[in-house]
Formats: sequence, structure tokens, C-alpha cells
Amino acid sequence: MNTKQEPQRFVIPIGPQHPALKEPGNFQFTVDGEIVTKAIVRLGYAHRGIEKAAEERTWIQDLYLIERVCGICSHIHALAYCLAVEQLAHVEAPPRAQAIRVLVAELERIHSHFLWMGVSGHEAGFDTFFMYSWRDRERVMNILEKLTGNRVNYSANVLGGVKFDLDQEQIASIRGGIDFLEERTRHYLDVVATDFMFLQRTRGIGVMSRAQAEIMGAVGPTARASNVARDVRKDAPYAAYKEYPVDIILDERGDLEARFEVRLKELFESFHLIRKILDTLPGGELTARMPRKVPAGEAVMRVEAPRGELLYFIRSNGSDKPERLKIRTPTICNLTSVVKLAIGHQLADVPMILAGIDPCFSCNDRSVQIRTSNDPDGRMLSWDELRQHGIDFYKRLEK
Amino acid sequence: MNWFFVLLSLMVFPGGLFLLAGGMAYEWVDRKMLAVFQNRAGPRWFQPLADTVKLLIKEEIIPDKVNEILFIGLPIAALAGGLTAALYVPVAGLTPVYSFPGDLIVTLYLLSLLTLCMGLAGANTLDRFSLIGATRTLTQVFSYEAPFLLAMLGPALVAGSWQISDINAYAGGHWLILTQPVGFIVAVIGFMGKLVMPPFDAPEAHTEIGAGALTEYSGRGLAFFHLAKAVELIVGLSLVSAFYLGGLANPLEFLVKTLALLFVLIGLQSLLTRMRIDQTVGMWWRYGTLVVLAQWLVIILVMRP
Repeated sequence: MNTKQEPQRFVIPIGPQHPALKEPGNFQFTVDGEIVTKAIVRLGYAHRGIEKAAEERTWIQDLYLIERVCGICSHIHALAYCLAVEQLAHVEAPPRAQAIRVLVAELERIHSHFLWMGVSGHEAGFDTFFMYSWRDRERVMNILEKLTGNRVNYSANVLGGVKFDLDQEQIASIRGGIDFLEERTRHYLDVVATDFMFLQRTRGIGVMSRAQAEIMGAVGPTARASNVARDVRKDAPYAAYKEYPVDIILDERGDLEARFEVRLKELFESFHLIRKILDTLPGGELTARMPRKVPAGEAVMRVEAPRGELLYFIRSNGSDKPERLKIRTPTICNLTSVVKLAIGHQLADVPMILAGIDPCFSCNDRSVQIRTSNDPDGRMLSWDELRQHGIDFYKRLEK
Repeated sequence: MNWFFVLLSLMVFPGGLFLLAGGMAYEWVDRKMLAVFQNRAGPRWFQPLADTVKLLIKEEIIPDKVNEILFIGLPIAALAGGLTAALYVPVAGLTPVYSFPGDLIVTLYLLSLLTLCMGLAGANTLDRFSLIGATRTLTQVFSYEAPFLLAMLGPALVAGSWQISDINAYAGGHWLILTQPVGFIVAVIGFMGKLVMPPFDAPEAHTEIGAGALTEYSGRGLAFFHLAKAVELIVGLSLVSAFYLGGLANPLEFLVKTLALLFVLIGLQSLLTRMRIDQTVGMWWRYGTLVVLAQWLVIILVMRP
């Protein structure tokens, strides 16, 4: 322990269980009075071994597993997986299926941004904003339920297409819901851009310059609020985004206010896109025929999740199971910016800065670090060592 | 039989039980209306009572390395402070039980006791959230206490007395909210700071520091602090409405005026975002104190014969 020489530090732990976090993560903020001087992040509390588990399941079983990587953006994970597998199998989903996939993805973006908006309002101590935005979010949840039968894990995708079709009644209900949500979004945009008390907590807080955003590899709305034009829907259109292009919303201020405005303005793009899809929904089949075994090869798929770029890497060895599946979620890219930006800010701003990237922890946990009192720095275990550790652990318990 | 009535006034009415019941009723109105404004269902009418009973039954865990006497004593002192203050205030629109020249100052200090006790209770434990919460609580005291005091002394100046019952009687003929609007606003906002209501809830900001100074409290101590806050709500509301809203002459007037004031507080709570502690201090010392001092100057100049 070399901490003895240092002056005594006052460390505020946020997490793994903390009211500011809806999922487990651990942040240690060293504070001097109210000012944060050092920040450390520690992840891994919700590691579920999904990548390893995916190797043990068939391509079709994996679809159900992948949908459960994230509770908020479940559709976009399944979509990325399907697109990557279809790429490997040289199958292309029919246009109608691709359009429906984009439709659900955009509805999901709306629900995710509304959820984020409420949580951020709560972090700022503006509970009325929280309650109202979550009430309005119910509308889009109801639309998703009406479309797919589920509120959270929509299970819209199958390999080679989608599971459900749209009828006129559903289209009408989506249109009604979108009109309502657009009006509400306009109101919320007005609130976050003009409410004096709220601006006190967002304007000029957590400013990330364009250069910083590029160095730290920020993605999604967090990067776009720092004027980095990075949007996979535009850069490498997938599914039906070629036929239904979106505009990138940029802001050059890079503070929390910009992140609020970028996300809210993105919603208008989503509303616009959904209307366009409903107007010009192509006809035809919903699924293409998919082989049970996927030819050997490697595929990389990038999609734009509500939080930013989501990357899937899949390697197939020609069997009915993937050999390797690698997922990189947007939060892990944005998390470094929190640790960097928190320094120099007040402790009261930290939950807001953290919420500003829209963190989602369980989907970015990839490893568990074991720290004991004898071994405070932790150590890495190989797969065999971990297996042996488990065997020894339970043998000790039996005694 | 004089001692019997003394005991009755201290223990049952208008002190003691009546205050506790009234405080919990007002707390329920606050919680319920806030919930309605926020589009929630809100608690049932007996929820504050149920919370209190539950907390009283719960085991009180005394953490390691705290001063046990302080840990147990501070909540009691806080509650006692609120209950004592009520004796000098026209709660329920009745004449105060006790009254002497200068009781306004005593009452205001008794009302500060709650915040002080909370700050000390937080500083007494070793918990990191408690310590930050205690620092914020005490910082906040120093920001709103002086302007609040000045705002409450404005009516005293024009009434020519520092006795609450005299000011109440004077205010009965004069709606001081019209002649001293600045004082009224400062008093209302200062009172919200006193009760750590949003947007001045930085000392107990859940998303930052858990429950703030009271993080280590469970059971009886927490119940006493909550009750003290409920009592202070009713006492403070009576005081502000007695001074600024045309006095409290009978129970009906009390009910109408304090509830109207409470609705204003609830509206502010639901509309505003939490302020950081530096923003709170900045607001009070940059604007609050100055405007109230300016009003003092005006009062003194106008009153000079």
C-alpha cells in the first residue's frame, strides 16, 4: 500500500448500489470539499457471460439470448445479430421486413430517449419532469406492445426477416401515438432549452470538446452533442436506412444542455422517419429462407443503437452454432468520458454527467475482477484458472 | 387545578398530540398534492402516521464510533425544539399559550434547532454520505437563516413589537403581503430552505448522497426527525401566514390561509429543479439578503415620523 504518503483522501463511492444508478457499477470519486479531483470506474457487477453462452447455442437459440443483452435496446441487438448472420449466410431479408425492422428500431429509440430524459430529470432533482416523461413513454410502449405483443423484448426479428406484419388498424394507432409524442417532445424541448432552473444544472456542465470526443472515442448522441458527425445510420446504412435516410443532428456546445437537445431533436427525425415508412411501406414477403447451418466466415455489423454505435463480430465455422460472438456496446465507449469530465466538477453535477451519456451497464460488462482483502489490486484469471477457482471454492464450502 | 391545564396545553392541545397530528396531516397534504401535480397516485391519508408507527417499532441501529448520547439525544432535541416553538405561535388561530415580549426571536431560534440537530447528527457519524450531507445542511443554514430572520423581523418593525401575538393582532388589520411583498417572498423561500424542500434539497439529494445527514438513522431517531419536520411545517406555515397574510384570528382563517400557503409551496416544489449547494448560497447572499435589506431600509425611511 503506497497510500500512506498521500494526504488523507475523502472518497465518495457511487455504486454498486446507489440511488443514482439504476444498474450496478462502481464509481469512486475523490472529493476536495464538493469538487471532484479524481474518478475511478469499476465495472463487472452484472457480467452474465452471454458471449460464452452464445457459443453453446444454435443460431436460432442465440436470437433469444441476444435479445436479452440489454433491457432497453433489445431490438437493436437482435437486429445487429440478424444482419450479421444474414450477411454470413448470403441471405437478404425482403424489403418489407427491412422497413418493419427500421420502424421498430425507431420506436425503440423513442422509448429509450424518453426513458433517458426522465432519468436525467430525476438526477437533476426535477421529479415532475421525470414523472411526465415516463407517463408519455407509456404511449410508445403501448404501440410496441400492440405491434409485437411485448413491451420490452419485442422479439420482432427472425433470421431472414421479421415475425409480424402491420395492418391498417395498427398503422392508424402508430400515427395517433406519434402525433401525440411529437407534441410532447416539442414541449419537453421547450422545457430543457428555456427553463432557467434546469439550465442552471445543464448549461456549461460536463463540456466535451470535439477533439476530446474524438480522442475518447465517444459515440452516439454523446458524440453528436460535441459536433462529431458520427451516425451509423448515415455512415453505413443498414436494413432500410438506405431507402429512408435520416439527418444527423449536431450541436457544437458539447455540454449537458447540448446532449439534451440533440437527443430530443433526434426524436423528431424518428417521428418523421416512422411516418415516411408508414406512408411507403413496401409490399411482399416477410421472411427469406434461412439455412440451418451458416457457412464458415467472419462478419462485422455496425448499427446505431439509441446510445450510439453497437458492434457485432461473428465468426462461423460452418456448423449450426457460432464459433465466436463479440459484442461492443456504446456505453463502454462513452464511459471513459465520464471519468474524464467529472474531474473539476462539483459532486452534485456528477450524477448528471453520468446520466448524460445514457449509461447501460449490464450490457457492457465483459469480465469480473476478483478483489480480496489480501489482494486489493485484483488479478486476471484465464479460463482454466477460473474453472479451477470455482472447483476449489465449492470444495472449501463443502468442508 | 392550574397545573392540569398547563399539562393539557403542553401535552394535548394546542401543543403535543394536536401538533403531531396536525403536522402529519399537513405532511400528507404536501405529499398527496405533490403527487397529484406530478401525475402520481400519492400516499393514502394515514401514510405519515403509518410511517411513524413503523419507524418507532423498528430497531434503532447505533453505528460504531459515534457519540451515543448525541446520536440518541439530537432527534429528541429537534422534536422538542419544534414543539416548544409552537407554544408561542398562534397555531390553529388561537392565542399563543405562552407569550412574552421578544418571543419572536426565541421562536425563530427554536425553529433553527431542527436543522442544527440534523447537521450535528450527520457530523456525528463516520458515514461519508452523512458527512457530506451534514456539510451541506450547515452550509445551507448559513445561507438562508439571516435573510429569513430579516424577513420575519420586517412585520415586527411595522407592528412596533417583537411579540408574536402583538404582530398577529397588528397584521389582522394590515395585509403585509401587499406592503412588504419582498419580505413575504423571502420568508416563503427561506422557509422552504428550512424544511429542505425541493429545490433546496441538496442536503438530502438522493441521487448524490443517499439520505444525506440522516443516512445512518433508522427507527426511533429517524421517526423523531420526521415528526420534527412535520411540526415545523405547521408552525412555520402559521408564523408566515400570521405575519403576512392578514393574521390568524380563528381556526377557519388558520386552515384557509395555511393551506393556501402550502399550495404555493407545493407548486414551487413541483416546478423547480434542485439547486446545487453553491447556487443556493449564491442566490441567498447575492440577491436574497440584499433585497430584504433594501426593504428594511424602505420600511425604516417610511416609518420615520
